[in-house]
Amino acid sequence: MSRDEPSPALELTELDAGGALAEAFSRTRTRAGLLRAGAGVGALLAALGAAEPADAFAASDVDLLNFALTLEYLQAAFYTEAEQVGALRGRARRAARVLGAVERAHVAALRKALGKAAVGRPRFNFQGTTENEQKFLKTAVAFEDLAVAAYKGQAPMIKSDALLAAAISIHSVEARHAAWMRHLFGITPAATAFDQAESRPHIERIVQSTHFVAAQPKTTGKGAPRYTG
Amino acid sequence: MVTTITVSILDSSSTALENEHRRMSRARLLAQALVAGGSVVAGGIAIGGLPGVALGRSSPEQDVRVLNVLLLLEYVQAAFYAEANKRGSLRGELADFSHTVGEHENEHVVFLQKTLGSRARAKPRVDFRGATQSAQAFTTAAIALEDLGVAAYNGQATNVTRTTLAAAATIVSVEARHAAWIRDIALLLPAVAPVDPSATEAQMLQRLRKTGYLGSP
Repeated sequence: MSRDEPSPALELTELDAGGALAEAFSRTRTRAGLLRAGAGVGALLAALGAAEPADAFAASDVDLLNFALTLEYLQAAFYTEAEQVGALRGRARRAARVLGAVERAHVAALRKALGKAAVGRPRFNFQGTTENEQKFLKTAVAFEDLAVAAYKGQAPMIKSDALLAAAISIHSVEARHAAWMRHLFGITPAATAFDQAESRPHIERIVQSTHFVAAQPKTTGKGAPRYTG
Repeated sequence: MVTTITVSILDSSSTALENEHRRMSRARLLAQALVAGGSVVAGGIAIGGLPGVALGRSSPEQDVRVLNVLLLLEYVQAAFYAEANKRGSLRGELADFSHTVGEHENEHVVFLQKTLGSRARAKPRVDFRGATQSAQAFTTAAIALEDLGVAAYNGQATNVTRTTLAAAATIVSVEARHAAWIRDIALLLPAVAPVDPSATEAQMLQRLRKTGYLGSP
């Protein structure tokens, strides 16, 4: 097992185009997004069962949760589609099932916390990567490594301790997923002693380059998650 | 005061995950007693024990205390893999795992020592009681130590300054990768819950002492 494998995350940039997801990300930065975010603070508080004053949560925390939510939408849709397409067998199939359930749980938790401030779910087109084991694993590795770097980059900026505790505990689960998918893909699960964080613009550029986002959400969703595929 | 946040698996696949747990349990040959993780309950997976927050505001002083607690665990991890590598009883991927992870734990020790400078605690005496002698004993111990590493770092996230958090976060995900790796080798689910449990300092020390690996100071 080589310890010098490049992260497939880098290779995702070769797929290029789209830009739709980057727009989805940037929506939360608009004035309207921030206003919605402010309105959602009450729901966020309620979901967390906190007795803290509403101003304990900054709009920046809500914005940051929406960034995380968009990444979770991407992952949840990917594994759900892989499960539904049914092309995977054995260990990859089992992983898709488990990871799908977990990422959907992340989506549900974030949406519940964000309430009306939750960014809508984009439509995805995974371009066949859910239909072939090697493509599936390679994409999964990229997504999970990306999620680890993304949560790591955002965590120190979270203002609320309660949100930080939740985010950091999701962060390590994404790292477990990354190692798991790397192991199945045949590359080292832990390439270095220290995992580096990545900035939000960096993450957005990589996701944008995948061309996996087919359309923007028309409204912020309120209903139960619907699946692509 | 928020002390717990519950993330539940709400959709139809919750049964799939629970079945997976059962299936994996049947195949489970190792580490049954020592495996820490989320507990499967009716209707979802409940995650408790997120740390009580904001009890003592973070400060550079507190960072030193917290980092020394984490250094204790890193010392034990590093010593464990060093002994396993020296003994040379592991073969194949387990040997690869032990060498790779051992190097990482050494780097974590050095990083924490450098950060703490003269305030770094001394190495504890350790006795692994045969845990490095066989593949099975090694695997069981490695799972326990790596899962504990994840829980210990996660448990301190809100107790340290955000600057220290940023540094610690580069380590905790590597501990999580180690934990998932050794679990996958052992045919256990690498990730058992939507969020990782965390351990307070007291819980971490209790679990560490319970292993019996710590000798007299």
